[in-house]
Amino acid sequence: MNRIVFSFLIVITSFTARAQTTDCACFVKGVVKDQHTGQPIVGATVLIVGQNSGVFTDENGRYELRNLCPGAYTLECRIIGYNPFREKLDLTAGHEENFNLLEQEVHLKDVEITAHRTDAPSSQPLSTISGSDLEKTRGQNLAESLKGFTGVTSLQTGSSISKPVIHGLHSNRILIMNNGVRQEGQQWGSEHAPEIDPFIATRLSVVKGAAGVRYGSDAIGGVILVEPEELPFDKSLSGELNAVGFTNGRQGVLSGTLQGGIKGFKGFGWRAQGTMKRGGNIRTPGYFLDNTGISEKNFSLAAGYRNKGLGIDVFYSRFDTKIGIFSGSHIGSVTDLLNVIENGEPFVKSGFSYDIARPNQNVSHELMKAETHYHFQNGNRFQWTIARQLNDRNEFDLHRPRNDSIAALNHPELTFKLTTLTNDVIWDHKPIAGKLAGQLGISTLYQYNLMDGRPLIPNFNQFNIGFFWMERYVKNGWELEAGVRYDYRTLTSFRIVNREKVSQDFKFSNFSGTLGATRNFSERFSARLNFGTAWRAPNVSELFSDGVHHGAAAFEKGDATLQPEKALNTIASLKYASPRFTAELGGYYNMISDFIYLKPQPEPILTVRGAFPYFKYTQTDATFKGIDLSASWEIVKYTTVSSKLSYLRVYDQRNDNYLVMIPSNRIDNQIKYELPEDAKWHKAYFSIGNLFVAQQKRVPPASDFLAPPKAYSLWNVQAGSTFNLSEKQQLEVGIAVQNLFNVAYRDYLNRFRYYADDMGRNISLRLKWKFGA
Amino acid sequence: MTRRISWTLLLAVAMSFTQCKDAGDDVQIDDENELITSVTLKFTEEGTTNTTSFSYKDADGDGGNAPTRFDTIALKPNKTYTLAIELLDESKTPASNITEEVAEESDEHLFVYTPTPSTLLTYTYGDKDINNYVIGLTGKAVTTAVGTGKLRVQLRHQPESKNGTPSPGSDDVSLEFTLKVQ
Repeated sequence: MNRIVFSFLIVITSFTARAQTTDCACFVKGVVKDQHTGQPIVGATVLIVGQNSGVFTDENGRYELRNLCPGAYTLECRIIGYNPFREKLDLTAGHEENFNLLEQEVHLKDVEITAHRTDAPSSQPLSTISGSDLEKTRGQNLAESLKGFTGVTSLQTGSSISKPVIHGLHSNRILIMNNGVRQEGQQWGSEHAPEIDPFIATRLSVVKGAAGVRYGSDAIGGVILVEPEELPFDKSLSGELNAVGFTNGRQGVLSGTLQGGIKGFKGFGWRAQGTMKRGGNIRTPGYFLDNTGISEKNFSLAAGYRNKGLGIDVFYSRFDTKIGIFSGSHIGSVTDLLNVIENGEPFVKSGFSYDIARPNQNVSHELMKAETHYHFQNGNRFQWTIARQLNDRNEFDLHRPRNDSIAALNHPELTFKLTTLTNDVIWDHKPIAGKLAGQLGISTLYQYNLMDGRPLIPNFNQFNIGFFWMERYVKNGWELEAGVRYDYRTLTSFRIVNREKVSQDFKFSNFSGTLGATRNFSERFSARLNFGTAWRAPNVSELFSDGVHHGAAAFEKGDATLQPEKALNTIASLKYASPRFTAELGGYYNMISDFIYLKPQPEPILTVRGAFPYFKYTQTDATFKGIDLSASWEIVKYTTVSSKLSYLRVYDQRNDNYLVMIPSNRIDNQIKYELPEDAKWHKAYFSIGNLFVAQQKRVPPASDFLAPPKAYSLWNVQAGSTFNLSEKQQLEVGIAVQNLFNVAYRDYLNRFRYYADDMGRNISLRLKWKFGA
Repeated sequence: MTRRISWTLLLAVAMSFTQCKDAGDDVQIDDENELITSVTLKFTEEGTTNTTSFSYKDADGDGGNAPTRFDTIALKPNKTYTLAIELLDESKTPASNITEEVAEESDEHLFVYTPTPSTLLTYTYGDKDINNYVIGLTGKAVTTAVGTGKLRVQLRHQPESKNGTPSPGSDDVSLEFTLKVQ
């Protein structure tokens, strides 16, 4: 039997003293529950080994065996899908024996895969949203869905494009694992949002802090895990349909999932999922933003097979989006920018429209994945994941080419095609002495980028190989963890310089390590401490950029001599959880040496479009320190107050100054009233919340055209409930109002803060119809 | 079982190698890109055929090498000139004439000539597009007293938003020539 999991088995036994009985009047009774969910298991068999007597559990998971003679018995509880569980009893009277069953090996293993993925390293803070909390974010893009986490903000380009920021770090410093595969897109651009449909996920998690050992290079700021539900092996057909409508942008989102097993083929499961999204111009409190519509079509298909220790999964997904870029943001010179800033609102006025005109971007992302794993009888486990991703990004400028014959072709002004092949082999060795568990892995990545159009970043080939080894030791409430990794990367770039092809080779290699401890003082109180390192090789845009960045009115120049960034991250947290009060306090100190950023140059650069501020990619040593605090307290029955606070300070050590583009501190408060459970109404709630975002005052002097925007405070209200339509059908309804008072505000991390206000009031209605098991 | 594993592995290996391609083979010189590398102002003194040209040239476009030429405009006082402008993309061979393309799409383009101090020169547009808005490919420049200042030359690109004012759109050209009336 593979007992990889540690001390999961907690059997609660309680003896009830009863009057001494004679003869055969002894009995055993109890409840059978799922160990993970705590839900009663209906229809499990409880039998006495060696005798022909047994009973089934009832709808509450209860069982009772009567008329037993005093003596020693072995009781066995079993049901398909769970590991059978045996317990020896010495009966003298009545006895209560509760069983907590563990999902069977095959299922257990799958749970455990995700546990490994989300858990590693376990001494790092991990936050997860799933279930009804995730449902509340439905219809939003990935970064928006993650904003509920403390310490997570977003970097925006208007309201349709946003990317997640963890502890002040974003883009290539955050790794996104989409269904177990590292998402590889053109992440370097601030207006390049992750190409992931959040409807794929039933669980979104954030690992805060450097996690370079388990996930490889780039995981300097943290890791975002987008995970779908386990495939429904041997289950009947089920599905759900989501419909979300937003008043702002008159946006509609429709998403459906259908899944099941295959009759007559044991061990199979499949799922098909699709999402459609359509939205028009966004409205700020004062005006519409021209050309801010979005249109998205995504789908995914998954199938899998499980048999004993073997598991095979295949997955295909396609993400297709067309996003309008606010036309007022496309500027040709600093004068244009200063004019807009002085005007206080965009020059381009428009009404509502679903049309997406130039400038716009059309992006598609395709992911193909095959994963196979095998559990050996002795407890070892092997997993191989292979994936191919194709990221196709097309950017259309506001201006068509002046030459009519070229304009008629309607080619994008910029095209990037990035193909990535990844291989991950992981070996989980069998636990040594039941206390030491670990894994070894090899990851390879082969990537090539083809670009066409206005020269921005060169074509390149990239190859990466990494080896890692991690061990975890568990004893007496302590959990210790250590790991090491080595990565080797080559990058070859191909550019046209003076009409000649120039190629350049780069080699990077690095070690990363992690060391962590978790101490569980009691069931309620625990502490964690982790030291982790990670590194990131400079990306091609940092090495080779050379031109005006449209919209930013800045001339950016790369530096081919840049060295990799190296991060040393210390992160500590304390967690207390009781049924009515939970709190988590975390502190972090992230030191990034050779941190790459754009440094303003003293002299502007002269171009035909005028003089531009000149920025060069350069390196410094930066420190990121901050505090995340979250607490939730049920002050009176049904009423819960929760609070989240993020505080971050970033400093450029070499230049003795602050750094630009760091999210400001914020506090988020909610009060939620949950209605008592009712036969028809489930999980009915009403909540009101406020988000206060402070002004970012820690910016280098004269680093920007415009001082960081003022602090703002936004109110929101939400309500929702679940209705059981029938035994197998559920309807979930939610209504929410964001920016209740239609406040005009601008966020420092919105690239459009120069041109326009952020989104005004937005009312959304969410319906989810779920059927089947 | 083992057969199934090996089958999957084989498939996976096949997948991983059939797609390998070298990005280096695909580098192309892009000729569709439209740059403006040179801007030439041609002043023709009224009543004569005396034309003087003043240019800005940056043959490799933004970045790379610095501009090779940025002339000082020298004009005579109290004269009327016909001012024509020429835009070229000399990064290509043969050089492409952007002026013609601007003329073809004159309803999306507007040249703006701004002297500082404003008394140095008066500019009057000499052409109009199909919507009866001025263009500025040709016009008249009248100088008055002797003086030194700047002449800012802008090409505003205003697709679907041209309204006769400089505000909409963005700069395709924005150059500040030194202007001497002497």
